Amino acid sequence: MGKEANAGNIAKKQSPVGKFFSNLGNDFKEIGLTFAEGDWKTKISFLIMGFGPIMRKQFVRGLALLAVEVLFILYLVGFGWKYLKDIGTLGTVARVMNDNGTYSYNDNSFLILLYGIMTIVLIFVFLLVWRINVRVNRNEEKLLAEGKKLATNRQDLHSLLDSNFDKTLMALPFTGVMVFTALPIVFMICIAFTDYDANHQPPTNLFSWVGLENFKNMLSFGTSGIGSTFLTVLGWTLIWAFFATFLTYFCGMGVAIMINKKGIKFKKLWRTILVVTIAVPQFVSLLYVYKMFANDGLINTYLMKWGWISSYIPFWSNPTLAKVLIIVINLWIGIPYTMLITTGLLMNIPEDLYESARIDGATGFQMFRSITLPYMLFVTGPFLLTQYTGNLNNFNVIYLLTQGGPQSMALSNKAGYTDLLVTWLYKMTVNDTNYRMAAVLGIMVFVVTAVISLAVYGILPSVKDEEGFQ
Amino acid sequence: MKKKVLATLLATAMVAGCLAGCGNSGNDTASTPAADDAAPAADDAAPAADDAAPADDAASADEAVEYGSGTIKVWVAENVVEFTQKQAAAFMEANPDMAGYEVSVEPVGEGDAAGNMITDVEGGADIFGFAQDQITRLVSAGAVCPIVGDNANFVTSENDAGAANAATVGGTIYAYPMTSDNGYFLYYDSSVITDPTSLEKIVEDCEAAGKNFYFEINSGWYQPAFFFATGCTLTYDTDDAGNFTKCNIDYASDQGLVAMKEIIELKSSSSFQNGSSVDNGTNIAAIVDGTWDSGPAQAAFGDNYACAKLPSFEGSDGKTYQLSGFGGFKLLGIKPQEDAGKLAVCHALAQYLTSTEVQLSRYTEAGWGPSNVAAQQDAAVQADVALSALAEQLVNTIPQGNYPGDYWTLATSLGDDVITGTLSTSSSDEELMTALQNFQDTCISYAQ
Amino acid sequence: MTTSSMKTKRAISNTITYIVLIVISIIWLFPFVCMFLQSFRSMDEGGGGMVDYLLPKKFSLDSYAFLFSEESKFVRWYGNTLVIAFFVAILSTMMVLCVSYALSRMRFKGRTVLMRFWLILGMFPGFLSMICLYFLLKQFGLTQEGAIPGLILIGVASSGMGYYVTKGYFDTIPKALDEAARIDGASRARVFFTMILPMSKPIIIYALLTAFMNPWCDYVFASYVAFGYSDSYNVAVAMQRWVWTNDYQGYFTRFCAGGMLIAVPITILFMCLQKYYVEGVTGGAVKG
Repeated sequence: MGKEANAGNIAKKQSPVGKFFSNLGNDFKEIGLTFAEGDWKTKISFLIMGFGPIMRKQFVRGLALLAVEVLFILYLVGFGWKYLKDIGTLGTVARVMNDNGTYSYNDNSFLILLYGIMTIVLIFVFLLVWRINVRVNRNEEKLLAEGKKLATNRQDLHSLLDSNFDKTLMALPFTGVMVFTALPIVFMICIAFTDYDANHQPPTNLFSWVGLENFKNMLSFGTSGIGSTFLTVLGWTLIWAFFATFLTYFCGMGVAIMINKKGIKFKKLWRTILVVTIAVPQFVSLLYVYKMFANDGLINTYLMKWGWISSYIPFWSNPTLAKVLIIVINLWIGIPYTMLITTGLLMNIPEDLYESARIDGATGFQMFRSITLPYMLFVTGPFLLTQYTGNLNNFNVIYLLTQGGPQSMALSNKAGYTDLLVTWLYKMTVNDTNYRMAAVLGIMVFVVTAVISLAVYGILPSVKDEEGFQ
Repeated sequence: MKKKVLATLLATAMVAGCLAGCGNSGNDTASTPAADDAAPAADDAAPAADDAAPADDAASADEAVEYGSGTIKVWVAENVVEFTQKQAAAFMEANPDMAGYEVSVEPVGEGDAAGNMITDVEGGADIFGFAQDQITRLVSAGAVCPIVGDNANFVTSENDAGAANAATVGGTIYAYPMTSDNGYFLYYDSSVITDPTSLEKIVEDCEAAGKNFYFEINSGWYQPAFFFATGCTLTYDTDDAGNFTKCNIDYASDQGLVAMKEIIELKSSSSFQNGSSVDNGTNIAAIVDGTWDSGPAQAAFGDNYACAKLPSFEGSDGKTYQLSGFGGFKLLGIKPQEDAGKLAVCHALAQYLTSTEVQLSRYTEAGWGPSNVAAQQDAAVQADVALSALAEQLVNTIPQGNYPGDYWTLATSLGDDVITGTLSTSSSDEELMTALQNFQDTCISYAQ
Repeated sequence: MTTSSMKTKRAISNTITYIVLIVISIIWLFPFVCMFLQSFRSMDEGGGGMVDYLLPKKFSLDSYAFLFSEESKFVRWYGNTLVIAFFVAILSTMMVLCVSYALSRMRFKGRTVLMRFWLILGMFPGFLSMICLYFLLKQFGLTQEGAIPGLILIGVASSGMGYYVTKGYFDTIPKALDEAARIDGASRARVFFTMILPMSKPIIIYALLTAFMNPWCDYVFASYVAFGYSDSYNVAVAMQRWVWTNDYQGYFTRFCAGGMLIAVPITILFMCLQKYYVEGVTGGAVKG
């Protein structure tokens, strides 16, 4: 993980990798010095963590360090090692059938990989604690040598509410993210290099490492490859996110301007009506709207009753119409949200800017173009970016409306014309249990999101020029 | 220097310890192969079994077989949950020696059951109902246990040959047939439809009345009605492990072209709607659907409720073809078990749930057509309008074999291409042939 | 330009605006009105399925009666969702507040690295790790029968990553206040609990509200975790099955009725707290 974090640092410092290694070198030097210069308590601490602090009556930190070591060893011996040793093969003996018709379960590739990864992470964490253990010893010795007093146990505990309050606050959220977000993501990245699918499903069957095969498959453009489908889905994903973000944004702003207009009454009423859509759970409203626009739904039947059309409009079964309709319905979902946001911001624009423009004889539209729009774009730049990446992954709107359909013979792996990468991923996971390709797709989604975020973030005016309009 | 992220690490250590604790009890598979790897729930059940065993012994000391105790999870479709619960209770009453097991029945549709079983075999049901097209998927994922010996004889002797065949993969029986009614026919409104034997007439009547005719042409289940009608075939051969070895298909032929054109012809009618559910349809005059929808269909058509076998149509080559389709079955499968006693109880219960009496009362209560030969002879079953329409239709159908999951998707794609107009009345024969060839090649590619 | 022509112009433009707003309002409320009307349609009429007209011919409470009857577990599902939403709201808000305060006020080693790391993690689609989370929860026995605590755990565990809005709010509270208190001898914890939190009422309510609303929509992961055990379903999982699974015939009006029962209380709650929601959303947008 240190490496990833370092990669993120590239923009900031000239040579983060070099820095990382020089830090590492310094660390080793310090560890060596600590051992060489330390007293016997410190030396024993290298093996029995927390020994030094306990001997120096620093019971709280000493016992905490000792507890970590004991727990870690118990974990490794009693649990972790069993899985770690098999991580190269991911298990060798699958389920076997006994003579009496029952079955015995043996190696479970899934658990081997999951706990294997967890064990590796915990080993690194343990090394980190061990390093802290060494540093604690060195610092205590240093303080004693300088004739200063060590912090009492009470002070140690109290610091957790004061100078070390950040550790207290972050402990639980950090652990939560590590176990329930980071670990599963690392696990799924590994899955992208295995053949875990419906035919290799633990505990019945084993799965194993296959290298880059899945990636090759995803990017192969032959008859059997799914590369062209991937590009189709990716293309629609990008287009969808663009329209979903900007159309909603401008329409929402338009509605906000209308409601804010001088002389318009019942401002609160209008706003409240729109905001209802935010409050009603999407699975209720979107499923209903889907039914409304079905070939035999309310809209079509009324249009036919009134004689406006002679046969139904294939709202959902025509790919182009379905795409347009999804974007329009998304306006229905999204406008209230942008309306709320822009309402507040529009009021912040200094009125005298408009006054002077009016004196110069500018029309309403000109004022919008040269004052309102630049201001809004400047202030909401980052918001638009997060909206865009959010829309790339906007599962609900697509899945509750079309479930990705209509499908076509031209697309493989159950993809449909309105599928986004994420809905496709979902179908692969849930309908096909094709986890290997789902994992590859997930990595692709990450790459797309990351590339767009980095590229756009660099050109955002509000990032370049923080003072700007303030 | 202060202690680094000590608090964090403590928490991590706690989590690790916790995992170690849980893991030790739940996942020590290497050392105790046959034991604990089941769901954590099974761990809870295990001690209970031990507790119950002595008591049982005391009560019935000379009982030969010890079945143990625990919970048997059963998944069936929503509309027979209560029925199944009642029958399971009756079963336990009749077999007190197996009453150590508690049966919990959950509504999981026949479509979802296989998917859920495959996702997590351990967490899945012990006995589950599924549509027969899922069976190979379940076999190759190892989520259904083989039925051998006397149990296999029960399946073959009690049920019609088609049903027994549907429960068989590569020579081994894997499930107990529950119904033989998984086919489709025509429900119609007799005040609108004047002649249910001709597709052209049906469409004409619907157009004249401004009402809808439902036929789910983008479903791999309904779509072959056209192709099989013109004499095309589409079947797969499987090996013992449930792998598809060979695909027998001739869609890319003159006959296939006739069927394809007829689908497109039907779609081009303003009265055509794609669908196969009475409740999701509106303004229905006729619908191609199965027995499970007979209730809603009666409600929708009222006094004009009528059923018939599927109509025939006049193909582009001038010949008349009778619409065909699949005759299918619903099956009851058993999850591979680790405990011999439980396995025996599961078999006994599944047999009971598919026995003559229970199939008959299932017909009476939920309208499910029996697969049991004796039950099929029952007077009430014979007199049912929907079932007799189905029986008439079944003569023209092909018993549904095993199909790879991808086939259903592919069929949806082909149907969607018609619905979206990619393939339309203006498409040339070459274009249609290319699509059919493409379909055929892809079907073949699913079998290695 | 005379004042009177200005006035007419304004009047015309206002009239147009009113018309547009009225049309928009109708479009926005239309589906809800439809749903409201359908929920009162009698079961005798179309058997509870779809119909192609708007106004029911016969009003009845059949669908509502069904939801509260023995036949349906709707009340239980509703309760499940309420429990999940309540605990997720409370616990995840606490998590977010902790993280936000630490990141806003304290400068510890690894702070920027942590923020970047979390940002990167956030770029992976959530569904990716669904299967892994399922088996992780299963190891703790928190699936199927234990799905409710499991869903709460998942809802809370990673909530710390959504600190942006709250941290942005904390950043606007002047640091000088903290420092003054610290000089007076107050610990960090004291400052957090007695000064910052009371000043952050709007943002706390915002965080509670959004966290409370999320579980009502969660059917993807909830159906995954609770599969095959209907006592653990939440309303979204259960009702989505009514619409998508063919096993459920005649459930359309029931779906509408259930939808109303979910939408109405949440909408009322939302209306009452709208002020805070707007504040949070606007602040979050500007901070990015």
